[in-house]
Amino acid sequence: MKRIYFLLGFLLLILLLLPVFVSDYILGVFVLIFFYAYLGQCWNVLTGYAGPISLGHSLYVGIGAYISTKLAMDFGLSPWIGMWIGALGATLIGLAVGFLGFRFGLKGIYFVLLTIAFAEIGRLIALHLKPLGHMMGLFIDFKPGWVNFHFKGNLPYYYIGLGYVVFSLIVVRAIEASKWGRYFVALREDEDAAESIGINAFKYKMIAIGISSFLAALGGTFYANYIFYLHPTSVMSMWVSIEIIMRPIIGGLGTPFGPLIGSLLLTPLSEIARSYFTKAGLEGIHVVIYGFLLVAAVLFFPGGIFSYIKKILKPLLGSSKEI
Amino acid sequence: MKKKMNRRTFLKYSAAVGATTAISGFPTIIRSQPKEILIGSVQPVTGPLADIGIACRRGNQMAVDEINAKGGIKSIGGAKLKLLLGDSEAKEEVGRMEAERLIKDGAVCIVGPFMSGIAMAIATLCEARGIPFVIDIAAADVITQKGYKYTFRCFPTVSTFMKNMGEYISQIVKEKKVSVKKIAVTNTGDLFGRVQGKGWVDYVKAKKLPFDVEVVEHIEYPVGVADLSAEVAKIKAAKPDLLCPVTRPGDAKILVRELFKQRVEILGIASPGAPGLYEPEFIRDMGKLADFVLNNVPWVNPRSPKFKEINERFSKLYPGKYVDTNSGYAYLGVMVIADTLERAKSTKPEDFLEALRKTDYKENPMVGGPVQFAANGDNLNATSAMIQILKGEIKVVLPKDAAEADYIFPTPQLWER
Repeated sequence: MKRIYFLLGFLLLILLLLPVFVSDYILGVFVLIFFYAYLGQCWNVLTGYAGPISLGHSLYVGIGAYISTKLAMDFGLSPWIGMWIGALGATLIGLAVGFLGFRFGLKGIYFVLLTIAFAEIGRLIALHLKPLGHMMGLFIDFKPGWVNFHFKGNLPYYYIGLGYVVFSLIVVRAIEASKWGRYFVALREDEDAAESIGINAFKYKMIAIGISSFLAALGGTFYANYIFYLHPTSVMSMWVSIEIIMRPIIGGLGTPFGPLIGSLLLTPLSEIARSYFTKAGLEGIHVVIYGFLLVAAVLFFPGGIFSYIKKILKPLLGSSKEI
Repeated sequence: MKKKMNRRTFLKYSAAVGATTAISGFPTIIRSQPKEILIGSVQPVTGPLADIGIACRRGNQMAVDEINAKGGIKSIGGAKLKLLLGDSEAKEEVGRMEAERLIKDGAVCIVGPFMSGIAMAIATLCEARGIPFVIDIAAADVITQKGYKYTFRCFPTVSTFMKNMGEYISQIVKEKKVSVKKIAVTNTGDLFGRVQGKGWVDYVKAKKLPFDVEVVEHIEYPVGVADLSAEVAKIKAAKPDLLCPVTRPGDAKILVRELFKQRVEILGIASPGAPGLYEPEFIRDMGKLADFVLNNVPWVNPRSPKFKEINERFSKLYPGKYVDTNSGYAYLGVMVIADTLERAKSTKPEDFLEALRKTDYKENPMVGGPVQFAANGDNLNATSAMIQILKGEIKVVLPKDAAEADYIFPTPQLWER
């Protein structure tokens, strides 16, 4: 009996009904939870499953955001369509990064450096291109409506964000359960051993980075149409990449629910720290508290929180291997 | 403003009662008040702009304290103001989140946020929520060009800076009857540097100056540069009459020292507006070399009695600090809000907006006329001043009605002082 699906369905139902009970602000917090959970999940596909560590995922978010936004601004193309074009663009770049890295066998820290370098190149190019708003960034017109992906309240963003997360969960779960997923994990655990049994390491790592960058770019469109301002620093810089990877690391790498759990924990923590510890004269205390909480999370849950939740839920779920 | 006794306010009150004498400031909460009007302040108090963000928050708070000390908003039964504090961490989505939280907590309007990107995010949010947004500082022109009804800005825009720079330089050239034919521009490679540097180059190239002049050299170098000898050699070779640098604190010193070392002959240094060339550290470290540098910046009005009054108070509250552009405009932002509330006689957004449009706030501590808003929400009389360092002190030299001293131009060469 797949009790896990029952449990998940129940969770989803709670999330679907949640907006009835909470304020716009709480919905806003959830929008960020979903946004970072989603991006974490994208990153998880590459780094969590297949192994190569990317610290440049902000690049794909930025490409997705810029392409869909430019198409909407200059040609009136709905971001709902533009986001897929942006995702294809990001996939091309992702594959180019992957090709350079995997074809020439860059491993560990060297691949990390490659991804950072590309993200920085992307950021600098965006900073210098006039059509992309130059140094001032792109200021997006606010035109409420479904077609434009612009909404007045947080409710539509909440459901779209939730949709993103569910979509990414399904994709990741499907990958995990498929042949690809097994190959990814095999490559992550021991590339040489995997190759020796006939897995084409190059091909499957390329597939992983392709999917990962494609999905991340879709997240960029969401960001652009939620914040209404795009600047290379706010979508392509290093700290965005770090925000992206923190959730899956805390939640549990290489697990489908790790990024979501990490985000459910971290995003509200930072919000709570900020809203309760913002005091005049004690500027920055909330960042210190948030930092301590992060350290505590890493100290007490080194394997990611998800592995502990799994243990706790074991009696409930029986010997189910679905998670 | 409705005031309900919900769980949080109850907790706050009981905590206040418990801690009565230990913490100063709390007794004001205990005292029964008619009403309390909440203003949400979103500033970048942590992150890369923390110093500025804190200065802005202090400016906001000082205005609130002043209004409260004078008896609150009289037309609303002496209602006291309260500043709700938000921290944008210099990030757009955090700024939006914080504004959202403050609106949820009951803010009748939002003030802030120092950065143009965050201003855009909050302006869109406020438009969607129907909450007035009074920008104290943010310079990108585009924010007020989106047709938003709820967004107003006290600060001058980037295009105002360039226009003023052009006018001040023209005035100087005309009054001193000097010939400025060649201009060299340098800027740092960061966002601000490029916007300012390029803006000024474009302005000159568009022949908006009333005299014949060309840009002979436009040099860009990265922030944090350690040596500018090659750049200065290029400037020297181009033989400019006027050097217009857009700097940051570090490279400003390197640049001026190098100009001194290489004996570059120029009529003067006039920045279209940049930090680095007027900070106390610059003046302290550069001594005589710091003198005569001109800088076109939004500035406090030293002749305004209001400025003298708040500067004194500010220095007492925060020893060693003085009211500068940031804290000054932040103060002005909240004062405009208070003035609006006084005239609106209500905190309803419609009444508030109606009154805000008719604003004519004269007690401006900054250089510029009374605060009046154009149809798009920009402050019609926001402007910048030309300042010059004279004998180690910053003096406003232009416009004349705010000037403390006469400017000196052409300036003595760096090595002849």
